[in-house]
Amino acid sequence: MKTSLLTLDARTKKRNAAEARFKAYGLSAIFVAMFALLILLTSVVSNGLSSFQQTFITLEVALPEDKLDKSGVRDLAVMSRVTTIGYAPVLRDALLAKLDALDIENPLSNRDLGNLISKQSAATVRDRVLANPDLVGQTVTFDLLASGRIDGYFKGAVTMESAALDGNTSPEALTIAQALADVGVIETKFNWNFFVWPDASVQRPEAAGLGVAILGSLYMMIVVLVLALPIGVASSIYLEEFAPKNRWTDLIEVNISNLAAVPSIVYGILGLAIFINFMEFNQSSPLVGGLVLTLMTLPTIIISTRAALKSVPPSIRDAALGVGASKMQSVFHHVLPLAAPGILTGTIIGLAQALGETAPLLLIGMVAFVREYPAAYTPEAGLFGEAATALPVQVFNWTQRSDPAFFERAFGAVITLLVFLLIMNAVAIYLRRRFERRW
Amino acid sequence: MEDLTQMDRAMSTQQDIKISAKNVQVYYDKNHAIKDVNVEIADKTVTAFIGPSGCGKSTFLRCINRMNDTIDICRVEGDIRIDGEDIYDPKVDPVQLRAKVGMVFQKPNPFPKSIYDNVAYGPKIHGLSRNKAELDEIVEKSLRKAALWNEAKDRLDAPGTGLSGGQQQRLCIARAIATAPEVLLMDEPCSALDPIATAQVEELIDELRQSYSVVIVTHSMQQAARVSQKTAFFHLGNLVEYDDTDKIFTNPEDPRTESYISGRIG
Repeated sequence: MKTSLLTLDARTKKRNAAEARFKAYGLSAIFVAMFALLILLTSVVSNGLSSFQQTFITLEVALPEDKLDKSGVRDLAVMSRVTTIGYAPVLRDALLAKLDALDIENPLSNRDLGNLISKQSAATVRDRVLANPDLVGQTVTFDLLASGRIDGYFKGAVTMESAALDGNTSPEALTIAQALADVGVIETKFNWNFFVWPDASVQRPEAAGLGVAILGSLYMMIVVLVLALPIGVASSIYLEEFAPKNRWTDLIEVNISNLAAVPSIVYGILGLAIFINFMEFNQSSPLVGGLVLTLMTLPTIIISTRAALKSVPPSIRDAALGVGASKMQSVFHHVLPLAAPGILTGTIIGLAQALGETAPLLLIGMVAFVREYPAAYTPEAGLFGEAATALPVQVFNWTQRSDPAFFERAFGAVITLLVFLLIMNAVAIYLRRRFERRW
Repeated sequence: MEDLTQMDRAMSTQQDIKISAKNVQVYYDKNHAIKDVNVEIADKTVTAFIGPSGCGKSTFLRCINRMNDTIDICRVEGDIRIDGEDIYDPKVDPVQLRAKVGMVFQKPNPFPKSIYDNVAYGPKIHGLSRNKAELDEIVEKSLRKAALWNEAKDRLDAPGTGLSGGQQQRLCIARAIATAPEVLLMDEPCSALDPIATAQVEELIDELRQSYSVVIVTHSMQQAARVSQKTAFFHLGNLVEYDDTDKIFTNPEDPRTESYISGRIG
């Protein structure tokens, strides 16, 4: 039978339909993925963006000598005996004076009024005064942190209705805050301190920051980079270019692939057993965290480096050997430069993975509450030996706390973490493009 | 009568033996790839290896500069000498050998570096120049010998990979002769080139004969006939026949050679 090219036969129709179906599946899968990503990002951003803003009360605080310096001669030893409990009434009085001056009605008890100001503010003022004792006796203008509930009110998390049921605040307090905001005494502004301040106790979420966590993560990334990159690249080069192909190298290869799939918490247990219990490094130190993350990152780096080395055409090796280069010269002069973009990308992706890793860090104690900025080196603790936390652990930590103000901060930390990851990936892409564009 | 024989001998020894192979066996694992090859390759001559695919001609070529060392499962037995020195002697470093025995590969494989760096790489790693001026001179000389100088002199900093296929192959030849080798091995150097580029490379091979002993593996019998003075025919790992090119193509002794050059096997 003669068939026309202009009419499709049944077989072709079926084939075309199958192809169209397959494309549709693919498209819908991508749409689902994009949609999920969109929801994820929106929820993270909408929940977390407000943590970059903080509510401050601008007050002219009179610093009375009789309360803050009983010695009268600015003797620091005497002055430091006044704790933050001594400073709190000073701030409350300043607020009272402000309300009087502005003619704002105050139905609150002194204690409840004091609760408008963060407990952290007393410490801030005290630190300023101790750093500069001459301030005593003067009236100084401070930007004081408002308490978490007031902050929440201006961010929409606390409402009059919820305040009525809340032991920590009241609708009356919010009314006063609103009145102060109307005249510009209370302001919500961008809060750099979120990235600088250390974590704060459960009672003062408004003062909690990521400083220690960012520093801890940075130290760990340094440890990972310094250890994992050279070890990973060296072992890949050896395995790929020099090692004989036999049963032993096969075994090693299989095990590297297996290690890449080992749950990260297992590395945490390993770290706990070896680095802390056996080698007696400091608990919660970035050194131990970095070592554990190095173990975890090594397989990733080795696998991607080997893939990058494999993708260099063998003709380049032949060419180098053909003009009399030694094996090592052919690898270091020709193969490695060509594989460098791949190695870099693999390394940065490994680092990004390590940056976001939480589980193993919980086991080595990085979940601890740390308020002291860890020093990179101290004679007692050694290199990266001081206790620190890490970004993902800080997220975990904050989500565990009862005060809802920590919720927003947890999301803020997630955004910060994501921004760091995005930057690292962007750097990876940039380096890749840059090195590949050369030829 | 005696004078005549003496003259005869003078004729035959006029061309010195550069490479001599005796009882060479090559095994890939258990596969016996080269079987008992004996051959003597003369200096300042182009010697062609022909034969059907998989007959072992490339394998044998790669024995001459020990490129087979890079293949784990490859084992070479027998005796290969260059200027009377056993190149498989444990004292021989293949790196030094390969500087002396240059190689050009089937596919043009310039380094992804500039034209200059491609040629200068060999002299640099072997310390053949004391300063930049000497290196420049080596690069120019090599590029001139490879008939690439006129095309490349204005863009020595351009990437070697940006040249055309034929130019790339000539660049590879320049790179190979920059280390001042004594022997040049060519593994199907024209198989990836168009006829014009092939003609250029063939012309070049003929000129290179003045200074080097050239061994070329080729699939094209016409090419072997055009460029070589001696031809060796390989079949199934055996060296079937080795003689003057004219003789091989006009009056082969072995029936297998005749079948191959007339297109019946292979």
